[in-house]
Amino acid sequence: MSDPDEALLREVARGDSVAARALVARKLPRLLSLAGRMLGDPAEAEDVAQEAFLRVWKQAPRWRADGGARFDTWLHRVALNLCYDRLRRRRELATADPPERPDEGPAPDRGLEAQDVGRRVAAALQGLPDRQREAIVLCHYQELGNIEAAAVMGVSVEALEGLLGRGRRALRAALTDLREA
Amino acid sequence: MTPERFETLAEAFGGDVARWPPAERDAAAELMTARPEWAQGVLALARGLDAALDAAPPPRADAALAGRILATAPRPRRRWTGWLVPAGMGAGLAAACAAGLLAGAQFSARPAGGESDAIVATIAGDDVAIAYALGEGA
Repeated sequence: MSDPDEALLREVARGDSVAARALVARKLPRLLSLAGRMLGDPAEAEDVAQEAFLRVWKQAPRWRADGGARFDTWLHRVALNLCYDRLRRRRELATADPPERPDEGPAPDRGLEAQDVGRRVAAALQGLPDRQREAIVLCHYQELGNIEAAAVMGVSVEALEGLLGRGRRALRAALTDLREA
Repeated sequence: MTPERFETLAEAFGGDVARWPPAERDAAAELMTARPEWAQGVLALARGLDAALDAAPPPRADAALAGRILATAPRPRRRWTGWLVPAGMGAGLAAACAAGLLAGAQFSARPAGGESDAIVATIAGDDVAIAYALGEGA
């Protein structure tokens, strides 16, 4: 199966600015979605996207699919590694100086509005163990198939299924009141 | 497909069978035909969580972000460096220019007048030519 990004990468490697713009337009929203949902912080997501593209520019002249990983899979792996670096740093800081957790529940005098629901879901997602969140982000938001998502995560498809199932059950439990609202 | 497997897949991949692993979709469709009410109940529960996940808005890009990223993209190679530098001509040309300037400076220090001054003006360029003309006029 040919890699849909390979031709564009060749042009990028030659310094074609139109191709670079096309690649950024194609991949930046996906990178921001991935990093934003993994980190729950838009500014950090932007930093990850920028760092990931620096690696793309460096890799472009050497990119050869040759039956190996697709470029999109490689890019997801790069971005996730950058996210995990930041999550690790966060944990180290949190251990040294634990932050106060904001109350994510709705105010008692008003119902849940769409924005509240979005915030609640985003907070519940951040509350999941990293690997469960990663599985849900890859399969639900990034719409990767099970084989590709498992390849990005470096696990078997059975392990991916387990992570997805546990993650979704935990989310459902955390968001029980949304169904009642 | 067993009902347990159907539930496991709905729990993992959500309520849209089109997003389940391709190899299991046909078997899932058979079970949905055989037990439609039960299957729809399982899928509806999963779709509820899908909808909640979709309510979390995607991060929006800062308008300047794409510009910052593109500023770091590879640039095309400048063509003249492609043939000039590998041939060693860049360094040769620079040496020749330096030698010319040195010769010009040495010649211009000599007293003005005669045929050699015309040669100096020709070799060392416009600045010396102007100085020579002014000297002649004085």
